[in-house]
Amino acid sequence: MISARGLTRAFDGTVAVEHLSFDVPNGKLCALLGPNGAGKTTTVRMLLGLIGPTTGTARVAGHVLGRGPNANRALRAACGLLTETPGFYDRVSAWDNLLFFGRLYGVADDVLKPRLEHYLRAMELWDRREGRVGEFSKGMKQRLAIIRALFHDPKVVFLDEPTSGLDPEAALAVRELILSLKAEGRTILVCTHNLDEAERLADLVGILRRRLLAFGTLDELRAGTGGRGRAGNGRTVRVRLVDAAADHAAALAALPGVRAVTPAATTLTVRVEDFAAVVPRLVARLVEHGAAVLEVRPEAESLESVYLQCVRGDEHA
Amino acid sequence: MSVLWLFLAREVRDLRGNSRVWPLYLILPLLAIALPVVFAVAMPQMIAMGQAKGDPALLLLLRTVQATPEFAHYSLVEAMTRYMLRNSFAILLLVPIAISSTSAAFSIVGEKLQRTLEPILATPISDRQFLLGKLLAALVPTVAATWIAAAAGAILVDALTWSRYGSPLLPDRFWLVGVLVLAPLLGACVVLVTMRLSARGTDPQAVVQTTALATIPGFLLLGAIFGKALTIFFPALLGACLLMLIVDAILFRGNVRTFRREEILTRWK
Repeated sequence: MISARGLTRAFDGTVAVEHLSFDVPNGKLCALLGPNGAGKTTTVRMLLGLIGPTTGTARVAGHVLGRGPNANRALRAACGLLTETPGFYDRVSAWDNLLFFGRLYGVADDVLKPRLEHYLRAMELWDRREGRVGEFSKGMKQRLAIIRALFHDPKVVFLDEPTSGLDPEAALAVRELILSLKAEGRTILVCTHNLDEAERLADLVGILRRRLLAFGTLDELRAGTGGRGRAGNGRTVRVRLVDAAADHAAALAALPGVRAVTPAATTLTVRVEDFAAVVPRLVARLVEHGAAVLEVRPEAESLESVYLQCVRGDEHA
Repeated sequence: MSVLWLFLAREVRDLRGNSRVWPLYLILPLLAIALPVVFAVAMPQMIAMGQAKGDPALLLLLRTVQATPEFAHYSLVEAMTRYMLRNSFAILLLVPIAISSTSAAFSIVGEKLQRTLEPILATPISDRQFLLGKLLAALVPTVAATWIAAAAGAILVDALTWSRYGSPLLPDRFWLVGVLVLAPLLGACVVLVTMRLSARGTDPQAVVQTTALATIPGFLLLGAIFGKALTIFFPALLGACLLMLIVDAILFRGNVRTFRREEILTRWK
């Protein structure tokens, strides 16, 4: 589990991350979204105990963040990290690089070597294990770095841009690996700009821009309800009628749970808070009002739209 | 495997592929082998020529050597040869000074350039383990090169002079302590200074130059002042070793105390 409470970090008087509080329960995957410089990497570093918070605290994999240079060794041993840039010794082979880092984590060779083989095969790098990392493509280095984040069997995994620089096939393999990690019960925090990836993988989404603008499940964020912050504008229902939509717009506007109604020709675009609660009432009201309903099509708001509303709203504020 | 030796093993693997560093491991040790061999072989002729010319520096040196009790029972040529060979450990001291500043600069700045520091710092190793690992990784190959050069030089000198003197000229106790104790301690000092300076550098060559500026003048000055005493008074040599040990311990302690993971992660670009 990851639990942050009021995490704040300032660098030379400039606040990088402010009052960050959130929980990621065991076995859940949280995607942390935000523009460049939003504080995602600083957040991960604080949660790993690599840099200390100015104020606030956190509990990660059962360990409370400690102060001092050697206070968080047990926490780091329980976590895996995929750094923003892969970072390997270019003149050393992939196998020797991974062995070095695995041994730094204190994993015994008889456990480490089979695990490395398993992950290298899974990442389709087994045949290149004796090659120098300096000769690897960016995607290959990224896959190698993902292996480094996993080979010590961490309970909590931090992945900073896991599919950055990967071709679509390799990105798919990484996403499948991440899902299998989640299925194994690991708690995962992914920093990403890839909204599609977040939408596919995440149980929880946080939108960060120095402070947490929104945090909750995807549904909560889309609906703009529950969770933290009011991210989305709700969900959209498109209703196609036989006659002119404008004649029936006013009848829906006053309905509880309806946020906005926009008529256009024979189509009504209705923003609602909750499909299940509002759509049946909405159809009933239209029928009462004499409308001939041809089609009702619920449309979930995209994460991209939610994200942009959130970030632009913050810019405005 | 101990964390400390992990760094060393990785460094050795890295070194094999670093064509910018490994020539240093050949050139300086070869010079350190050649110099005593030249002294040993050419000393009789050099003395004869110097005496014939009445070279005042040589005559002063001869008087000093003759006045040294431990050389009293040797012929003038043998005493002078032994004394000059003893002095030749000075070049063996330069080997760790020159190589370790380069290897340490590549070792530490290389971590920056290859972005390997964050993954290392994310592992459960302590600051002390990390710094000691880096110290050993930079120092051990250098000391190994120094010792191999010293051993090769001594074997060659003895092989070439045995027929003339009938006993080995090297090693003597000064040479042994200089090579086995003082050279690694000097190398450690240079590595520790380099590690300190590396925190602010991004170019290995610039760090090597800054380290050279920070250490070599000091060593040369001390060598000029105390060099003669170090090759004549054995306690002075032991004292120099003890002093270097204390300096190294203070530098290492200072490095551990001032090591800031945060600074490295947030300011090293």
